[in-house]
Amino acid sequence: MSRGGKPTDISKKQGSQKALRADTAERLEAIVEAAERAAESVIDDAEAQARRYLAQARAEADRMAVGRVGELGDLIETLLGQAISLRREAEGLQSTLEEAKARIEPGGAPPAEARQRPELAEEQEPEETPRLRAVPVEDAPAPAPTPSPERSSDAPGARLLATQMAVSGSSREEIAERLRNGFEIEDVEAILDAILGPEER
Amino acid sequence: MTDATREIGFEQARALEERYLMRTYKRAPVDFVRGEGALLWDADGKRYLDFLTGISVCSVGHCHPDVVQAVHEQSQRLMHVSNLFYTEPMVRLAERLAESSLGGRVFFSNSGTEANECAIKIARKHAHGRGIAEPEIVSFESDFHGRSYGALAATPALAANEALGPMLPGFRAVPRNDASALREAVGESTAAVLIEPIQGESGVFPITDEALLAARQACDEVGALLIFDEIQTGIGRTGSLWAYEQTPVRPDVLTSAKALGGGYPIGACITGPAAAEVLEPGDHGSTFAGGPVATAAAIAVLDIVDDPVLLRHVRELGAYLCEKLEALDGVATTRGRGLMVGVGLEEGIDAAAVGSDLLERGLVVNAPRADTLRLLPPLVIDSDHVDLAVSLIEESLLGFSS
Repeated sequence: MSRGGKPTDISKKQGSQKALRADTAERLEAIVEAAERAAESVIDDAEAQARRYLAQARAEADRMAVGRVGELGDLIETLLGQAISLRREAEGLQSTLEEAKARIEPGGAPPAEARQRPELAEEQEPEETPRLRAVPVEDAPAPAPTPSPERSSDAPGARLLATQMAVSGSSREEIAERLRNGFEIEDVEAILDAILGPEER
Repeated sequence: MTDATREIGFEQARALEERYLMRTYKRAPVDFVRGEGALLWDADGKRYLDFLTGISVCSVGHCHPDVVQAVHEQSQRLMHVSNLFYTEPMVRLAERLAESSLGGRVFFSNSGTEANECAIKIARKHAHGRGIAEPEIVSFESDFHGRSYGALAATPALAANEALGPMLPGFRAVPRNDASALREAVGESTAAVLIEPIQGESGVFPITDEALLAARQACDEVGALLIFDEIQTGIGRTGSLWAYEQTPVRPDVLTSAKALGGGYPIGACITGPAAAEVLEPGDHGSTFAGGPVATAAAIAVLDIVDDPVLLRHVRELGAYLCEKLEALDGVATTRGRGLMVGVGLEEGIDAAAVGSDLLERGLVVNAPRADTLRLLPPLVIDSDHVDLAVSLIEESLLGFSS
């Protein structure tokens, strides 16, 4: 490069600058490393803390879930018990309904399903022959005397009324009032006991 | 708001009605534009308490959010395909209706009168199956079953209009609650006895237990069907899902409509086992009936109404309403069951005039006869609504009592 004394100074200066740059670079590197270490430490701490929180949250969730499952189990058991009880009650009501229906069909009227099913298509006779003929009036069974619905716990319809009301959700008191007003039945307890079971006293 | 739903105001609405609609209705001078629960608003923003619910249609209240949601969701998915195909809301609703009542089968229609047409067809075909050549249907003189020709023939007061004749033959009527006349009228040629368990349009008159028992017994003796028209009384109106549940009889067929769709048109004819197989392919049909939107709306309605707590509320609130009404000057009597209430006014008080006055005061009712107001409030009202309605009626009657 240059020749003479000046070059020596420049060379020294250049050496010094190199050393300075190297030192600066080292220091910067050290700072960056320290910063990175600090950052890693912060991240580690944060992750550790997050893991702790997560573990706590999971533990809490597990604890709550166990509690809820227990409560749900109890509730399901209760509901199952109620459902079984309701089914029994419904079966009882159904049988009472059928009994009541049979009672209001005097003379052993056939069950509704069997009564006059119009199976026309296959069973129609040829046109020349008369189709199903109405029973002549004189052959018809004499109409049963029309029972008065009043003042009888066996009044036709009273039990059906009570049963239908019970099925539709009416209370014992409501049914009793309707029976008293509609049928003038004073002692309605027999009907109510038969349909709803004896009243708990 | 689309052009289809934009508001035009009362005066323009009246002018268009005057020019373009057939003159079949005498409308009250109010243009309702909005409803919510038990309340209605007219085009001027005036608020009304609705104790008529579009003649027992909006029983769950106006624009019930569950019904609106069902209609909205279904109308975005599928609106119509006809009865040539299956749609799920239709079959689900059929199950709900049959299982909650007579246990047989369901035919859907678009209205109550169509539901009764179906019942009449069932009755006649059932009778032909018994060898009856000229079947006859017996009803009460003040029954109202609809305005199509079959239903009209079973509605003696309207069938008397000779200008609409000739009427469908094979119908006869006996005086309301006349059990003896009913027994005499039912014979070998009787196809069915068709009854409203509580007559609505004629002024809210319950049929007595004695008459209902006579009808049931007479039908059983000759093999005829007992048909209950529950178009107004059904869907919780009387405090049970069906009115027959509070009577001593069980019909073979029942018809439903009005409240079934919560404001969306739909009707249904429901049978018990005895009549379930009568109609066969080709016997009956409808293009629109049982459509997915109407049946989705009806399922939402049943979800609300088929609730023992609500039904008990209806019975209790109905009793409370009648008790308060009977204490008013000008009220002679109350009739009905649950929240289907006829208010008999004292002699000399014009029910139509009272109804008009109440409308001005902000209470919507109607007057089915000269001496009777009919109250059919939403089933979801509470005692505050009842107190307000009764106080408005009381104030109105003060101006009419002598």
